[in-house]
Order: sequence, then C-alpha cells, then structure tokens
Amino acid sequence: MSGLMVDAARCVGCKRCERACAFGGIVVEGRLARPTDACTLCGGCVEACPVDAISIERDEAGEGSGRDLSAYRDIWVIAQVDAEGALLPVVFELVGKALELAEARGCQVVAVLGEAGRAPRQAERLAATGVAEVIHTVDERLAYADAEVFAQWICALAEERRPEAMLFGATAFGRELAPRVAVRLQTGLTADCTALDIDPKTGALLQTRPAFGGNLMATIECPAHRPQMATVRPGVFAAPERVTAGAGTGADLAVGIITQAPLAPEVAPRVAVLGIEPVTGGSIAQAERLVVVGRGIGSKKNLPLMERLAELLHAELGCTRPLVEAGWLDYAHQVGQTGAAVAPKLLVSIGVSGAIQHLAGIGGAETVVAINEDAAAPIFGVADYAVVGDAIEVVTELIAQLEARD
Amino acid sequence: MHIVVCVKAVPSSTEVKMDPVTHTIVRDGRESVVNPFDAAALEVALAIKDERAATGEGCRVSVLSMGIPATEALLRDGIARGASDALLLSDRAFAGADTLATSYALSCGIRELGSASMSDVAASGAPEHEEATPGPSLPDLILCGKMAVDGDTAQIGPELAGLFDMPCVTDMRELVAIERGRVTVRHATDAGIELVEVPLPAVLTVAKDIAQPRMPSIAGVRAAAGAPVAVLSAARVQADPARSGLAGSPTQVVRSFVPERSDACEVLEGSVPQQAARIIALAEEAGL
Amino acid sequence: MAATSFGPTPTIPAIIKFSSEYDEYRGDESRSRGTAESLSFPRTEDEVRAIVRSLSSARTPITVQGARTGLAAGAVPQGGHVLNLSHMNRPLGLREGNGRFYLRVQPGLVLSELRKYLAAKAFPTEDWDEASLTAAQRLAEAPEQMFPTDPTETSACLGGMAACNASGARSFRYGAMRGHVTALRLVLANGDVVALRRDEVRARGRHLMLKTEGGSTIEADLPTYQMPRAKNASGYYVEDDMDALDLIIGSDGTLGIITELELALMPAPAVVWAASCFFATEDQAVEATIAARADLKHAAALEYFDPAALDVLRRARAQGSAFAALPLLPERFGCCLYVELQAPVEDEAMADLERLGAIVRAAGGSERDSWVARTAVDRETLRFFRHAVPESVNMLIDERRREEPSITKLGSDMSVPDDRLRDVISLYRSTLAEEGLESAAWGHIGNNHLHVNVLPRNAEEYARGKALFARWAKDVAAMGGAVSAEHGVGKLKRDFLTTMYGSEHVREMARLKLAFDPACQLGRGNLFDAALLDEVRREGAAVPEGADAADAGPDAADAGPDASGTGPDAADAGPDTSSADLDAAASPDAAPVPSAAAPADALAKAMNTGEVS
Repeated sequence: MSGLMVDAARCVGCKRCERACAFGGIVVEGRLARPTDACTLCGGCVEACPVDAISIERDEAGEGSGRDLSAYRDIWVIAQVDAEGALLPVVFELVGKALELAEARGCQVVAVLGEAGRAPRQAERLAATGVAEVIHTVDERLAYADAEVFAQWICALAEERRPEAMLFGATAFGRELAPRVAVRLQTGLTADCTALDIDPKTGALLQTRPAFGGNLMATIECPAHRPQMATVRPGVFAAPERVTAGAGTGADLAVGIITQAPLAPEVAPRVAVLGIEPVTGGSIAQAERLVVVGRGIGSKKNLPLMERLAELLHAELGCTRPLVEAGWLDYAHQVGQTGAAVAPKLLVSIGVSGAIQHLAGIGGAETVVAINEDAAAPIFGVADYAVVGDAIEVVTELIAQLEARD
Repeated sequence: MHIVVCVKAVPSSTEVKMDPVTHTIVRDGRESVVNPFDAAALEVALAIKDERAATGEGCRVSVLSMGIPATEALLRDGIARGASDALLLSDRAFAGADTLATSYALSCGIRELGSASMSDVAASGAPEHEEATPGPSLPDLILCGKMAVDGDTAQIGPELAGLFDMPCVTDMRELVAIERGRVTVRHATDAGIELVEVPLPAVLTVAKDIAQPRMPSIAGVRAAAGAPVAVLSAARVQADPARSGLAGSPTQVVRSFVPERSDACEVLEGSVPQQAARIIALAEEAGL
Repeated sequence: MAATSFGPTPTIPAIIKFSSEYDEYRGDESRSRGTAESLSFPRTEDEVRAIVRSLSSARTPITVQGARTGLAAGAVPQGGHVLNLSHMNRPLGLREGNGRFYLRVQPGLVLSELRKYLAAKAFPTEDWDEASLTAAQRLAEAPEQMFPTDPTETSACLGGMAACNASGARSFRYGAMRGHVTALRLVLANGDVVALRRDEVRARGRHLMLKTEGGSTIEADLPTYQMPRAKNASGYYVEDDMDALDLIIGSDGTLGIITELELALMPAPAVVWAASCFFATEDQAVEATIAARADLKHAAALEYFDPAALDVLRRARAQGSAFAALPLLPERFGCCLYVELQAPVEDEAMADLERLGAIVRAAGGSERDSWVARTAVDRETLRFFRHAVPESVNMLIDERRREEPSITKLGSDMSVPDDRLRDVISLYRSTLAEEGLESAAWGHIGNNHLHVNVLPRNAEEYARGKALFARWAKDVAAMGGAVSAEHGVGKLKRDFLTTMYGSEHVREMARLKLAFDPACQLGRGNLFDAALLDEVRREGAAVPEGADAADAGPDAADAGPDASGTGPDAADAGPDTSSADLDAAASPDAAPVPSAAAPADALAKAMNTGEVS
C-alpha cells in the first residue's frame, strides 16, 4: 500500500504536521498523527515532523513500466534557436552542464538541433562545443517554434536512440516542448531546475528546483522511467568559456559528428502563424543590469526617477507584483514567481520588501544591492549589499553622480 | 460548443510564509483559492459563452479539477460565475500525483465530461437555460492557466494536448476569434507576441492578466447552490491505477531543504554620496 | 522612525521649536493649516504629563495630534504647542474576562497596525506583565479577534478615533467607537490624571462628579439637550445618569489628553460575504436599503454609491491608471448598494443572500446586476471598488485645483433618523439641482448618513456649496439629525453645532469644558470659538462665590496636590486677567484655518491616502 505512513512509535503528537498541512490532510488525535482523505501526499508534513515519524511510502510493484533502464544511455541537450536562427545562450549553458554530468557518468553528450536553416552553420557551431554528436535536420516545418512538430521529431529520435536524460532550456518554447515530449514518452519531467547532479552508478539525475516560491528547494528523481527530463532556467548555469569559444579556438575539444535525422514526412504543422510582434525594448530576463522597484518608492510620481536611474545604468527596469497590480508598470516588468526570473550581473533593488514570491525570481542575480528604509526587510536576507535609508534620497544622489560622469 | 476549464486549488499565496525559527512553511490560513491563472482561463471561457449566447448559439463551459473534497466549493463558485457544470476528481488514488499523473487524471475527467451522462447532468442543472450540445465526446476547447502559482511547472496544458493529440497554444494574451472551426489567438513566445491560428479542438493556456475574472451575481450564487457538482472517484472515471496518483508519477521528491541565503550582506555605511559611489562602482564591475 | 520601546524615561522629552522641518504637523487630512510655536513627541503618559505641566504656567494652548487623518481640522493647531502622540503607539497589555479579550493600547497606535497584530495573533509584548502574556497566549489559541470600528482610513490612530467617536461602514451593525472602549486614562491640562473604567463613574441625572488621581474633584453640570436619534459625532455626548467614560469619547480633544485606551475585542465573524447590488435609479436603491435594514439578519454594512459617483469612477477607469483593474461597470448600473454580511456559518449567509435577492427584485432591480464576494480575491476587488470611488473624486478635484487653487472638495457628514432617509435624500437632490452644483454622494446609507460631496468648478460654486451645507445643517437638525455623524466637529463645523443645538446648549457645553480645562488650553478652536469660551469663562467668574458652580469652577481643578511642584497655581491667577493672553496666543496666523494646501501636496495625498469616510 502506498501513501502517507506515520510511525506510531516515533510520533509524539506535537501537531507540527497539522499546522504545516495546507489541506487538512493530517490530523492529530490521541497524540498520534493520522492522514485524512484530504491528504495530497505533498510531503509538507514529512518536512515539518521533528522526529521523522512521517514518510511517503511507494508501492514498488506499481512503478515503472517494466523498462530496462540499462538500455538508455547518453545525455541529450535539446538546442533552440532564436528568430534569426542563431543558437540561444542557454544551449551553451546546458552543454556545459551536460559535459560535466557525462564525465561523471562516463557517457556522451548529444545535442539535438532541428531548424529551418535561417542562420548558417549552427550545427557546426554546436558540434564544436564538446558534444560527441549533433543530431540535426533542416526543415521548413521547423521554422516556427511549434512544440507539436518538434515533439514528434524528438520523440521519434528518443524512442529509437533511448537517451538516459534530456535537458531543455526553460524558455517559453522549452517549457511547452518538454511536457509534450514527456507525456508522449510517458516519463518524468522536472521544470525549472536550478541544480543538476548525477549518480555515476545508476545514472539517476538529481534535479533540484525551487518550491513554494523559493523558500524550499526540492530535489527530484525519476527512478524508474527513462529518459529523465529537465528544463533549466536560462542563466542558472554559467556556460564554460571553452564551450562558447568552441573547438579550433585553442580550446581542448574534439569536434563532434553531425548526423542528419529528417522529420517524418507525414508530420504537418497545425499552428498557422499569421504574424509576429517582436519584443520591444530589452527583456528583463536577459538584462545584464537591472533596477527593480517596489512599493517602497512611495508613489507613482517617483517612477520617472527610477526610469532615469535605469537609463543611466544602462539597465532594464523591473518591478514587484503590487506595482503591476496597481497599474504603475506593465506585466512585462514583473520580476518574481509569477513574473520573469532574472539573472543579471547586477540587480539594484529599490524599495522592495522582498516577499518570497519576488525573491523566487531573483535567485539568478549575481550581485544584489538592496535599498530599503526598513532594516528588517527580507530583501536584505538575499542582498549582497544593503543600503538602509530613504530610497528616493539615494536614487536622487545616484542620478546626480551618474549624470556628472557624462 | 463545449469548453473545459481545468482549475487547481492553491493556497491563497499571501498566507504562505516561512517560520523564521523552524524554517518550515507555515500556511496557517487554510483558505484555498482558485489558481489566479485558472480563474483568468474561466473568464475567457465565460466570455466566449456570453458572446455565443448573444448570437443564440449554445456553449457549455465545464469546470474540472482534481483535488481534495473541499475543492468542490471552488467548483461551485465557478458555476456561480457562469460555468454550466463542474466535475471534481477526488480519490486517495489520485493523491501524490506529479504533472504526468495529474494530466492523465484530468484527461479521464475530460472524457467523462464528454460522456452522455455528464452532458445530461449539465443540461438539466445548468443555471441558465441553454441547449446542451451532446455532440462529440471531446470538448472543442480545453483551457488552462499558464501555470499554477504554487507549483509553477506550466506542464499541464501541453501534456493534455499531448494526451489528446491536440494543438496547443501557451501563454495566450488575447483571444482574437473563434470561427469556422479555428481559433485565433495572440500569445507570448520567446520571439515576441505571435498571432496564430489553430484548428479546434485545441488546448489553450492563458496568462493571468488576459482577463479580469468576473464576480458572481446573487442570481449566480443562488443557482450554483443547487447545481450539481459531480464528485467522482478514480474507478468511476475509469482511471488506470498504474497511471494515477503516486503510482503513476515517474518523479518523486527525494529531499527538500531550505536554501542557504547569502547572509554575507555588507551594509554600505557612510553618507548618501558615499553609498551612491559604492553602488556605481558595483555597476562598473557589472559592465557599466 | 520605528518606535523602539525604551522604558519610560525620567527626563522631560524635548519640546521642539517649530520650524519648517515640521511643516506637515501644521495640518491634517482636512487640508487646513494652522500655526504653532512648538511641538513634542512623547512616548509615555509620564512624558505627556511632564510636557503639559511645563506648559501650564504660560497657559500655552495645546493641540493634540494623532495620525492627523481627521477631516474636521481637530488636529490643526491654533498657535501654541502641538502634542503629537504618534510615537505612543504600543499595545500595553491584554486581559481576558467573561470570555472576551480587552486590549490596552497607547493612543497613537494606528488601526492598521492593530489589525495586523490581531490577524497575526502576535503583539510586541516586551514590556507586558505576566497576566497580559498569559492572556496573549490564550488569544493565540482563541478564534481570531477583531476590533469592530472600521473607518475607511486605516492609518487613523485609536486615540484620534476615540476623540471623535469614529465609526465606519460596519457601524451599521456594531455602532460607533464609543461602545467598544471599556476604559481610558485622561491627562488634564494641569497634568493630573483621570482614570475611567466603564460602569465605575456615572452621572447623577445630569450632574457629574469625578475624582482625579491627584485627589482633586471635577464637578460639572452636563448640558441639557437630548441626543439625536441618529448616528452622531457632534459635540459632547450626554445622557441622564451617563457613564463618564462616554463623555470623554467624542469630546474632540477639548477635555483632556487620552493617554491610554482599553478596547473590547470580539471574535471575527467566521463568514464575511459582500454584495454590490446595482440599480437603475436612486429610488430603487433607497427602497432596497429600507427593506434590507428590516429583513437582513446579518448585515454589517449598508453602503451607497450614487450615479454621479459611479460616473466619476467610470471616467477614471477609462483613463487607465490603477482603476483599470476594476470590473467593468455597464451603463445600466446606475447606482450601487453595497451590503456586507457577517454570519457565523455559510448557510446563514446564504439565507441572507437569498433575502437580499428578494429585496433587490422587490425594489425593481435584477439579481444578475450584482457582484458577490465570497473569496478573499473578490472581497479585495470590492474593497478596491469602494475605495476607488472617493479616490477618483479626489483626483477629479485635484485636477480642478490646478486651474482654481482656491477650491476644495466639500464633503458633508450629516445623518438623520431612519424614518427621514427619503426626506433627506430628496432635500439633497432638490437643493443641488436648484443650485446647479455638481456632486457625488456615497456613504453609510444604512445609518442614513451619506457623504454628499459638492464638486465645485470655481470659487463661486465653492462659496455656494458652503452656503448649501449651512442650509442642510439647519434642515437636518430640524429632522432630528446630526450635523456631523462621524468626522467630528473639530474646527470646521462649529457653526453647525450652534445650528444643531442652539447657542444656549453650546454654552452649556463650553461650561462643561471649562470644568475640565479651566485655562482653555486644550484643543483650542475645536467645538467652540475662542470668543465664546472667553465669554463663558467671564460669566463663570462673575459669580465668584455664589451658586454651587463655585467649587466646580475652574480653579478647583487646578488646586490639586499634583500641581504643586510646577507652580500652576500662580498661573491660574484668575480668569479675567488672562483673556488677552489667550487671544494673543491664538495669534493672527491662526485665523485662516481652513486655507488651501498647496496643490502638489494635495495631489500626493489623494494618490497615497484617499478619502476618510
């Protein structure tokens, strides 16, 4: 029997599980915890239990699908190109990570690139990143990021070649494509990983991702199914220099082979693209420098000041959710769990208290400078540099100094 | 036309906080709310229903969820806002589902909604008088929120599309038209906002700000009080136990832990001009 | 500026000389400005007493300030000293009795902070005694508690709320602040203290006798008027055999300085639903209000938004801004009746909602034209909607002020008895139409208490609007209503007080004030103008040894042992010599109290705070 198990010998009836459960899924009666019908097996109580009395038991018999795990090998990186046909930066980040994992596991890295051939020699560039092989095709049907078409191509390849793991960038497209592939292959998928590790013996991929708005990190495994699939946020892993530079530029890398694998002729795109409005302005997700403002800037009339600061820092302007909800800025500026995840080199956070939902989106920032009046603001818990003071005063001074430079 | 809107009950996010001492998640507010993205999806569906009602065409909007028994109240609230009927999949057998098992359970529910018995329920219990379309067994549209605020995986929509072999459009920002068996929408992609057209049936996932969810009226609340919300077990919707709940979930959480925060936070002391100068120096290090 | 709690300091806190740095303390949310020579920010009652004693020899006028959110200019100084209590913002202790909780707080504690403490069931308890800590533990385990008084402006402080007997939307069910205060401490102008606890000190008929902690006696005749049968915050509350505590609440800072309050908490309702019902015409909404008042079992608030108010909101919404997040208001939504239901269980809320549906139908409306909030998200939408109305009107006025800086919004605050609701609304409608003035009205229709706002386009309309308000005050008084139902009289409505009670009764009030504050230091300009007080003082002095008024006279209060050290006796050399000084203290600058604030300032306020209602 699978489900939530309470070890009666250990349970002390402290009720921490009851308080931790959001669903009323566990109750303490007679100093003993007991799961109810409302239990969703979320594991919140397992974490909360101070005496390790609670566990989630799995019915091993029902698991897997009788797959022979040893038949699966290699780590695949699914490559994505931008509107001009050039490889996205996240591809190099993924290859870098995959090479690391493959070395530990003693397997190879294979890159998968389907494209319409808008930009020249992308397969060659990919082959020079240190991967053993690039599975490649050029097909007009791959001109748009149509997840259904890509999924059919990738699934056919995966069914034939049985990769042990597949990594996708957690871009809009990657996050649509990966689940379509996973459901077709009936395997597990972990979204938005921020750390990846591998068990050298079993090949089990340890996928760590934020949960509850970044307050909790969960490490997830996919023990009985292959391939193991993960999407990884852009900017989380640094692309090693030798991977971005590529073979032939002094980096000690062998050039991988390129294998052509055509898309099946019967695949027909069903999504018709009638037009596209390119993203205007910079995107906060890709910004090198970012100014993020919160309610602490006081009123909308201070916004031009913040815009001016961003301009002078050659930074993009982001904000917290309340500002979007108040209509001060568009959703495109929202940073956080329900907005964009950002990974700038420098993030200047102004008047942001630091709700966990917001902090979930700034974990990728290299350096965080926070300016806030309230010394107890949670934002300071994640900041590298803190200015406790009046935001407007500091920003005004920053602008004055920056303007004086020009 | 039949539209199924998949919704998830999530903890009202403002009440999720961290106990600073025990480092456990404290969710003392037990109030569950409909995932705001899903609430927006329901609004999109109800707007379609209104539009079709204005031209005399029928449109059935079904709300579907997998969850604990208490989720029924949220589905009933969906009916109060204008949905035609609702189905809750509630069973211990569904517990512990990851996204693959969740999308499987929902697919069973979607098939059930298309069955004759459920269509009849909808026709008899619909709060507004309308013609139920018994028609095909699969809906014309499946609408989901782009993601749930608690899980943030954004996988359910594309997985449902995969299970039903339907086209899928994610992160919809505007529904432009539904005509002649095709739906035209504007949605966000890596490249920008795309205007695309797909044939029905299709799966659409919506951005939260696509629509301001409507409030229920007194009439709606009163009608919903007596409306049927089907609460069905895994067996009743013929869900394969091996694909349901914990057993049907390939992924499992092996460890969770509180991330280390950078406590090496340096407080910039000195006068405001000195502080500003330090920040500018940091910006220069970051490539300014 | 977070108030860290150091223990009571024995030193006299700084009396700061007034400078431009403190400009904001010259005014309050009424947008009136006054002048002052000094100010202070005490943290404890002892500090208040020390400050007051140091000011008494010079008879320096003292204006008490809390959060300065008042709309009647009660906190606007007329010269002298500004005693700002915003740093006295700590909860002091908790007790449990008869299954209820009673929270002791300092007067500067802000309502929104109080609510945060109650929602979190956690208080800053560093200085609390054992008994309070035990009670706090019990509160943490009990169902969530609330303090029911709910003025729209949650940055109001509790001392200020007590001083003007504040109310809010839910006063329909819970009444005003007065009913929820069980004890208070009052520092008198001479530094002595009166401690009052409910049911401990009562008047005999209309005669009141109080003992101070310093051992003095205050004795006074209470005014002889009858209270209106309507929600009321106009002048002193009096009744035969009344509780002395009730006199202090609503006294507009004219009798003493409230330094501590004990608030009676109550369990928060388990189910809170709200419905905004839209009607085509105002008559339908009034019809529905009258029926709802009689039929609904769990109504906590009945609020109204008139067609003009909804139109202003529609325009603001169309212009984008924050209001774009509001649900669309179809044209057929003429006006709105907002009903809040607070019930112990959902079934009872549902039964009331069904009754409300029937009421709406009977009034000629449609149950479909309503928004029901049963979830936190929907409740927030309705809260936003209700607050957006006054905010959008303020924005409109601020826009006009850019052209015509002399105008401000004119907001009424009058109430009438239940049976005069239709009459008062037809009075508003006919006179506004006669004058051709633009207006927008909203407010507490359940208490027959609408805030009718005249929106002048120019100075001439502004003047006519003011004249119209004077006329309304007369007519409302004649209906048995109140000229101020919740904002208090302060400095802006004291003429209305005479209209409502007649000059003889106002003199009775003045005599009562003098019994507490013989040198007329406290809250100068509130309720009474200086000339009237001086006149009444002279009358009192004219019968020096005569009737029973003598020992209750001004001198008696000051003669206490408490006063000995700082020499107030000398200061109290006799009422008649001091009138000139007092006039001087009032100073010419103080005269233009209701002057216009700078437009930019006003705009910022409108954006940040919204209207108090």
